[in-house]
Amino acid sequence: MLNLQPYADPQYFIILLLALIPLAVGLYFGKRFAWYEVVVSLVFIFLMFDGEKYHEGIALIIYMIWQWLLVWSYTLYRKRNNQTWIFYSATILAILPLVLIKVAPVADWAKVSSLLGFMGISYLTFRSVGMVMEIRDGSIQAFNPWNFLRFMLFMPTISSGPIDRYRRFVKDIESAPERDKYIEMLGKAVKYFFLGFLYKFIISHVLGTLLMPNVEKLAILSAHVHGGWSWWIIAYMYIYGLNLFFDFAGYSLFAVATGYVMGIEVPMNFNMPFLSKNLKDFWNRWHMTLSFWFRDFVFMRLVFLMMKKKWFKSRVTTSNIAYIINMLVMGFWHGLKWYYIAYGLFHGIGLVVNDMWLRYKKKHKLPHNKFTNALAIIITFNVVMVSFLLFSGILDKIWFHSFR
Amino acid sequence: MLKKRGLWWIFGPVVLAFVMITALFLAPFSLNYLSNKDIQKASVSFSKNVFKGESMKMAAFSDSKTKYVPFFGSSELLRLDAMHPSVLAAKYKRNYQPFLLGQAGTESLSHYLGMQEMTPALHKKQAVFIVSQQWFTKRDSKWAFSQFYSPLQTVNWLRNIKTISATDRFIATRLLEQKQISDNTFYARLITKIKNNQSLSGTDQNLLILRNRMLVREDQLFSNFAFSNNWNKQVEPALKGLPKKDNVSLLEQEAIRVAKKQTGNNKFGIKNSFFKTRVKPSFKKLENSQSHFDYRQSDEYSDFQAVLQEFAKEHTDVLFIIQPVNKKWSKYTGLNTKKYYQSVNKVKKQLKSQGFNNIADFSHDGGHKYFMQDTIHMGWRGWIAADTKIKPFFEHGYQETNYKINDNYLSKKWQNLMPTDTNLKNFK
Repeated sequence: MLNLQPYADPQYFIILLLALIPLAVGLYFGKRFAWYEVVVSLVFIFLMFDGEKYHEGIALIIYMIWQWLLVWSYTLYRKRNNQTWIFYSATILAILPLVLIKVAPVADWAKVSSLLGFMGISYLTFRSVGMVMEIRDGSIQAFNPWNFLRFMLFMPTISSGPIDRYRRFVKDIESAPERDKYIEMLGKAVKYFFLGFLYKFIISHVLGTLLMPNVEKLAILSAHVHGGWSWWIIAYMYIYGLNLFFDFAGYSLFAVATGYVMGIEVPMNFNMPFLSKNLKDFWNRWHMTLSFWFRDFVFMRLVFLMMKKKWFKSRVTTSNIAYIINMLVMGFWHGLKWYYIAYGLFHGIGLVVNDMWLRYKKKHKLPHNKFTNALAIIITFNVVMVSFLLFSGILDKIWFHSFR
Repeated sequence: MLKKRGLWWIFGPVVLAFVMITALFLAPFSLNYLSNKDIQKASVSFSKNVFKGESMKMAAFSDSKTKYVPFFGSSELLRLDAMHPSVLAAKYKRNYQPFLLGQAGTESLSHYLGMQEMTPALHKKQAVFIVSQQWFTKRDSKWAFSQFYSPLQTVNWLRNIKTISATDRFIATRLLEQKQISDNTFYARLITKIKNNQSLSGTDQNLLILRNRMLVREDQLFSNFAFSNNWNKQVEPALKGLPKKDNVSLLEQEAIRVAKKQTGNNKFGIKNSFFKTRVKPSFKKLENSQSHFDYRQSDEYSDFQAVLQEFAKEHTDVLFIIQPVNKKWSKYTGLNTKKYYQSVNKVKKQLKSQGFNNIADFSHDGGHKYFMQDTIHMGWRGWIAADTKIKPFFEHGYQETNYKINDNYLSKKWQNLMPTDTNLKNFK
């Protein structure tokens, strides 16, 4: 049985782009063949979840029915009423499948994982939860079942993002871009595809496939000899961190480029994150659609809530607590492992410290020049790398699992 | 007009890139030149690219100046110390030079596939095959297969099949158990055909030719990306220390002198550096850790049979070397010697009953002083003992072979046979 995992090998790109040609020709002449787009999307989603992965396909269908009913009924409800507890319930119900999937491995619910689990569940959950919140805000008012399905199941981004927003997405699909605009998008698509090839198939191959397993082995082995620590861990840290970027950024570029070919301006996920000058800057450049999602739907809402209820007097305390909760939630979202949660906490505290420093700097009028800039970039880069070392889970292997 | 040009500006370079890459892959001429020095380096490089590839091996085995011969084995080959076969052959300008194929984790199945792309080097030629009993584990014996798997070898294997033999069907079954193969629609489909005893169609053959072309080109472009310095760093210095004359007793003296210097921090005769890094940290844990080790029943026996069948098919004159284990060490770790010897007997039965009579069995020599370099690998005097078999083997030159292959060795019955003396005697 033919099974195609998104962007996994050169063959995939050839098949994908051939399948998209009619759509692209249509867009070039100012027509958007919505039905063709949906058919192609469904075929590729089917090919992702067929064969051995059929149970993931079934889980996806169950999940979609769940979210579809939920968002639809909440929209209907919201037109007439706006009670807080209903909103909270709807949000919780939207997150519920994802929560079950995250708890399942810890609680040893093998049945739950195989019944509800499929690749991409997190990213679909972000989309539907975002919608529920915007429906509450009143910025989404009508439920269009057709658009909902197209938004949720938009093939290029289904498995790993970037996370688009409903209103932005719908604006794109309701019309075809102007020809000049579309040509510009095609130009960018080609550029992103090739940049993605460089990132994912060359750089990430060298880092992740050739170097990482060997360095990991050495790190574990020599840490084992030297009582839990070795310099190889530092080497592993940089290789892992850089690979994380090139692998994921490459993947995101493919998704964005495919979206562009389909005439949809999928948002970018990375903007040179290793040139960030501080941690806040980093989160504006790293996995942007995720961090903006968290900013808009977790952080901001927490801050408003805390200000409205006047839980804390000082604004600084409010934002600090929101930072830490926001990042902790993100840590939990990665998985119920101590190192993911520690990673979240690390960044939460990091953002608090970062804010303190920025206030201090402003107050004392510290020098600001090329040199301090470079220093800031170097420090931020290394802090981020340390956090990725936590995130990688290698410390868990070294410290808590005996090595055979 | 301007807009049309816009599209060309975007897609022109892409089309051009595809044309260029196709031309590069399908060009009928070779793209790389391998110097004698490259081959010499590759012969002791243990590079996975070299192991998986074809161009470097074929360049070596058709070299007109040095007669490279394949040495199949596993981790012991990595012990490039003073008495290593590669060092001895180079020092005394013997009529052969080992080309080492194998490293930690290469077992019969990987070797069988590797042989598929070097059949001319095996056909009526000589080879050495070093067997480790550690391959013959009951479970998880194929843990490293994926690291050494190469699609090129699979393509060559498929192309080499003229009529489907029992071995081919066996190998097909084995390969389909590997994820890398079962996940690949193209290979899985063809190999399933072989498994079901259906011959490949003309289209299949043409597709294989095309694949082969691309993979060979890929191999030519990348296989000498092996930045190995083993020759300069390990072989060259070792050459200097050896006695001028190729003489066993002089070599023995030198081996003992070197070994004495490199051991002493442990009572097992294990090389100091190895003991310090690999043994000492978990020394206590290792006591009796091997008491449950048993090499007597394993599917590896049938993989090994596939290798034998390939040698028989190519009429290769092979010297088999059976490695011992460090006796003091195995006593400490509680390895059951009786079971170990039984597994050796099983291998020998399989060899002898099919006419593979060139066997250098060192399984009983693991207790000799300085024979083993560490726990399971031959070292100083072990290599010299091996050399007393290897050197005359090549001096004699190629001998006509007379192998009689018995497909029953591919059966589950043989894999699971308890190798007691009577059982072995009765197995036909």
